[in-house]
Amino acid sequence: MKSGRAYILTKSDAVMFFASLASTMRIIAPRKLVGGDVMFGAVSSPQEICWDYGHDIYPPKRFIFPHFEEMFSYTGDGNIEIRDSGEAPQQAIVGIRSCDVRAVRFQERFFLSQIEDPYFKARLDNTVLFSLVCNKPPRKECFCICCDAGPYLDSGFDVQLTDLGDRFLYEIGSDKGEKVTTQEAYMLKEAGPDDIAKRRKIELEADSLFETTAYIAKAINYISSDEVPPEVWEDLGSTCFRCGACTNLCPVCTCFTVDDLQRLDGSFIRCRSWDSCQYAGFTREASGHNPRPTFGSRVQRRFYHKASYQYIERDGTHGCVGCGRCVTTCLTHLGLPDVVKRIRRAMHNYLEPQQKVSEV
Amino acid sequence: MELTAAKPRKMWGVNVLPTGNLYIPMIAIIDEIVDETPDTKTFRLRLENEEYQESFSWEPGQFVELTVFGAGEAPIGFASSPLERAWFELTVVARGKVTQAMHSLRKGDKVGIRGPFGNCWPLETTKGMDILIVSGGCGSAPLRPAIFYILANRKDYGEFWLLYGARTPQDCVFKCDLTEWSGRPDVKVLQTVDVGDTSWHHRVGVVTTLLNDVQIDPSRTVAMVCGPPIMIKFTILDLIRRGLSEDRIVTSLERYMKCGVGKCGHCCINHVYLCTEGPVFTYQQIKTLPELEF
Amino acid sequence: MEQILTTCGFCSCGCGLYIIRNGNLMTGLCPSLSHPVSSGRLCIKGWNGIPGIRSADRLTAPLVRKQGRLEEVCWEEAISTAASRISQLVSENGERSIGVIGSAKLTNEECYALVKLARDVIGTPNLDSSSRFYDASVNRALIETIGYAASSISDLNSIRNAASIMAVGTNVMEQLPHIGSRIEDAAINGCYVVAVDPRTTRLAPHSANLIHPRPGADLVWVRALVKYVIDHQLYLPEIPETQGFEELRSSLADVEVEKAEELSGVGHGTISALAKLLAENSPLLVTFGLGVMQQADATAIIRGLANLAILLGGSILPLRGQNNAQGACDVGLTWDFLPGHAPFSYEPARRVWEAIWGRELPSEPGLSALGMLRAAESGLLKGLLVFGENLLLSSPNTAATRKALDGLEFLAVADLYLTETAQLADVVFPACSFLEKDGTFTNIERRIQPVRKVLDPIGQSRSDLDIIADLASAVGKKIPRDPMKIMAEIGMGVPFYRLGDDDRKDSTFGRQWVYDSNARKLSAVYPSHSGDHDNHQFQLIASRINYHQQTGTMASRSTILVREYAEPFAELCEADAEMIGARADESVTISSPSGSLVRKLVLNESIPRGCIHVPHYFNGDSPNALASYECDPVSEVPVYKGLSVNVEAVK
Repeated sequence: MKSGRAYILTKSDAVMFFASLASTMRIIAPRKLVGGDVMFGAVSSPQEICWDYGHDIYPPKRFIFPHFEEMFSYTGDGNIEIRDSGEAPQQAIVGIRSCDVRAVRFQERFFLSQIEDPYFKARLDNTVLFSLVCNKPPRKECFCICCDAGPYLDSGFDVQLTDLGDRFLYEIGSDKGEKVTTQEAYMLKEAGPDDIAKRRKIELEADSLFETTAYIAKAINYISSDEVPPEVWEDLGSTCFRCGACTNLCPVCTCFTVDDLQRLDGSFIRCRSWDSCQYAGFTREASGHNPRPTFGSRVQRRFYHKASYQYIERDGTHGCVGCGRCVTTCLTHLGLPDVVKRIRRAMHNYLEPQQKVSEV
Repeated sequence: MELTAAKPRKMWGVNVLPTGNLYIPMIAIIDEIVDETPDTKTFRLRLENEEYQESFSWEPGQFVELTVFGAGEAPIGFASSPLERAWFELTVVARGKVTQAMHSLRKGDKVGIRGPFGNCWPLETTKGMDILIVSGGCGSAPLRPAIFYILANRKDYGEFWLLYGARTPQDCVFKCDLTEWSGRPDVKVLQTVDVGDTSWHHRVGVVTTLLNDVQIDPSRTVAMVCGPPIMIKFTILDLIRRGLSEDRIVTSLERYMKCGVGKCGHCCINHVYLCTEGPVFTYQQIKTLPELEF
Repeated sequence: MEQILTTCGFCSCGCGLYIIRNGNLMTGLCPSLSHPVSSGRLCIKGWNGIPGIRSADRLTAPLVRKQGRLEEVCWEEAISTAASRISQLVSENGERSIGVIGSAKLTNEECYALVKLARDVIGTPNLDSSSRFYDASVNRALIETIGYAASSISDLNSIRNAASIMAVGTNVMEQLPHIGSRIEDAAINGCYVVAVDPRTTRLAPHSANLIHPRPGADLVWVRALVKYVIDHQLYLPEIPETQGFEELRSSLADVEVEKAEELSGVGHGTISALAKLLAENSPLLVTFGLGVMQQADATAIIRGLANLAILLGGSILPLRGQNNAQGACDVGLTWDFLPGHAPFSYEPARRVWEAIWGRELPSEPGLSALGMLRAAESGLLKGLLVFGENLLLSSPNTAATRKALDGLEFLAVADLYLTETAQLADVVFPACSFLEKDGTFTNIERRIQPVRKVLDPIGQSRSDLDIIADLASAVGKKIPRDPMKIMAEIGMGVPFYRLGDDDRKDSTFGRQWVYDSNARKLSAVYPSHSGDHDNHQFQLIASRINYHQQTGTMASRSTILVREYAEPFAELCEADAEMIGARADESVTISSPSGSLVRKLVLNESIPRGCIHVPHYFNGDSPNALASYECDPVSEVPVYKGLSVNVEAVK
């Protein structure tokens, strides 16, 4: 199978396809849980895969960069014995959306460039992504188009599936995608012009259905040049609940903390877990000094990291894929599009105060 | 001459991974402990694996991530001479959970070492220049390796001033070194404390007051400053007033750190990760970081 | 890898969250998107508090004190030691020499099992829960007004539709973020939020009005507010026919609004403006927190607030904080009520439970938790069983309480960790956390939600239900240990907990109980009988910051939560700091006749003059030590708010 070409996998064959794949790797896919929630998890059979899920709240980044990850364990008082606990199960993440795939690529660049993070690399090497194009916005908070991260990708995926009704369009986008397809290649047929046309139609429709007014570029200007006055940040921060949900659920965010925890048998594990720049203690030093003591300074930090030229230079793209999870999960209204909008408004008032009197 | 804080010649901590994993420490043994002040100790360590210790190469200004087994990890800068191949020293102030646990360890106990990480003082590009070192409190620890290096290669440098300040005589660290260096004719050592006592024979006042007694030629001097944040700030401003240019002032910054390799995000100031692009910076670089408000 | 839905065990919002487990390890957690309260969101405690529940210093084996030291023993020995001590004390001194204090963090089934253990198995009427130190002042006051001791709103999302919200004495944005978030949404929708609190809290950005009464003076302005509403007929048309109207009106005869405004410090003209604002913007929500519940006149104030809500046709939301405070009250883990909100002195209710339990009950209630501490002090109480509560830190006057507990002949404590209270015990039972057992919690919306076992109990720890059942057997009467059977028994006497046929399948987010709201009536609110504050310089504003929970046992073991709060501090405004000669970052001593604390000083202009703000901190450093056994006379909730203290700079 040559990469860059499109194939067809019927939905009935898809069941067999993934069942066959399941013999060599665990299949992670959206599953319907009690209460109507959908969450990515290991499925025991392809029938469990919930293809029409809206969106999940808990990003699949956690299969490559886990929420709690044991790095190594150690025992012994006299003689210290260290054992690497790194795990990297063979896995296929099926049904992951374009935004989350973009986010995986972003994290890949971050964790593997310059200095390679061994745990991330091991997990990513053993992970193949079967992404699913969004025919319509999964949720009203989605704004991937503003971030050039969806609803379909032209590159950066392993295998991209598009739902054409009774069949999937199956595109291979990487060597990994090609390798995993080779075993089951007999189930695929070449895609015909009708199929391609149908996919084009879906693309056009989807483009028009998505939110396209996040206007992040303007905010990036202001933030990068440090023009946003502290009062604006403090006003934004005045309602922050400091829960850390925005960064936890952001598929792009990568900050973590490391703790040595004791097990019941007396041995210790060094464990890393998701941390958030939105916590006051994130930068507090042992002396008690905190470089980011106010809520506003921390909100500023988050947006500097997500939307400034300096980071775009480092990471190749700005730090948001438009998945909308921060909008859903924020207890106040500090999701990225909301903050961007408020910064634009605040700067408008700040730079041209006579135009509009408002409490910024 | 364009001067920037330097990258180490060999990135041992990042490229050479003796344990195979960036995050898994090597074992080191505590050979000696010196009490510097009531809350500061200097530990002399050597890597348990002799081959590692032989090839363990680091440069002044770099740091290691020190593991106290059972407590956790903390970043500590090297504090001994880089020319010494059989051991290295770390000066630890007991402030947080890990450093307090470190202070309870004895000779012969084992700790973990990852590194060395970070960049280093610009000791190559400054050859031929006059060196002014200004250090405060335990800020002299990251500079101590630089001082040893300069003194060991004394003829490669011009004038050499070493200014040291502490809060009280009891808070002075490396007292023996300071005495020895004061006795050398090729380095001018000036000491001061904020609050003196009857045993103190040197100056009283903040360390910036010592600058009045130093005649520097800004065109051929580089200043290396390290100490508490306030002290760094005022020293730098004073040096600027005396005509030193922004790229001739170098300092070492501090932040809460966890991974030491630019991934966990804690030490990041604006877009710069202190643990990989620092901790040594020129004032010129610092000025581009709005969060620092210098 | 499994994803198990359970209910959070921190606050009374009762968020639905998934724990992802791999074998017996927790590898992830996230909020439920479809759950009506969490809606895909959690607070800092939800996100970070849970790993701290499985910290390495969890109690793994029972302990019995031998020759002054606590030693590990097997379960049989621990249970039989406790049971024989209890039986011995009962036979020597009578049943009333034993007390049982449970916790509002336990499941409904465990709370009910404690009720049975005390009233039925041991036969003592001295039974109470930790709510006695927090929210129990709500019970009597609401039963006498709206007819049941719970929130009158059934859905937290309806807060968004309020047209006016009066939030009294609450730090809701930090302590109950899901409710705070909805108050913010209401404000964005145009709702008038009035925050009434001595200090300025994080409600300020959303508030139309901030009213700052003196600490401890809430009864004064509340009575004035109610009187104004009545005198100016701002109430609903059907109010004069409502039972209790005349009694209420005549009980307020002494109120002079202007004098009340001055005395309480709310400022001239505030009452009339407030009354008009609330009356003209319906629907109204009245909500209040510990700032009210722990005041000297708590019951009276809450009656006044409930009256206000009834007069204006609004709702009332008592902000009980603990995860199962509502459930503990519902199933009767309280000294003065039987399960189902029936006052103990109400004979028909006693008959029902006498029939269910098969024994006679006394006609008067026994001792409250505070009463038990007093009785322990005097030697009348000989034995105390404490389940899931760090009594030493929740109770006032830590020094006196420690002496009282030390003086007991027998103290048994069941807890997750060796808390300060457990360290004084004769027998310690290792209990397991809400992640390790099945049961139900009832949240602030009256939603009885499932708590599902996610992980195996650590070491030999067991659920409190198992421990109580074992103890009951050993003392002489069996209690069922199956949570479903317990719930069925609760339903026999508490109609609104009865499981319907629909409820029997494992209903995802639980079921809500509904009460007959036609029982509403108005209730007289008399003036305070507590005297004027003696002339100490300062009044204490005690608070809790949102990474701290109750006594901090669970929260203090989460590295992220502890990291948020560098060291204990106290806040004064600059003028007061100058007056006592203290500067920022220096230490101050805060003292009262009961105890003293040393804190680092932080300057904060929003603290009123004459007040010092002292938040709770971990490891027992708590302003509770400054309180005394003085309490609200009706509910016996100790007075923690508005205390008079001395503040001195430490030189």
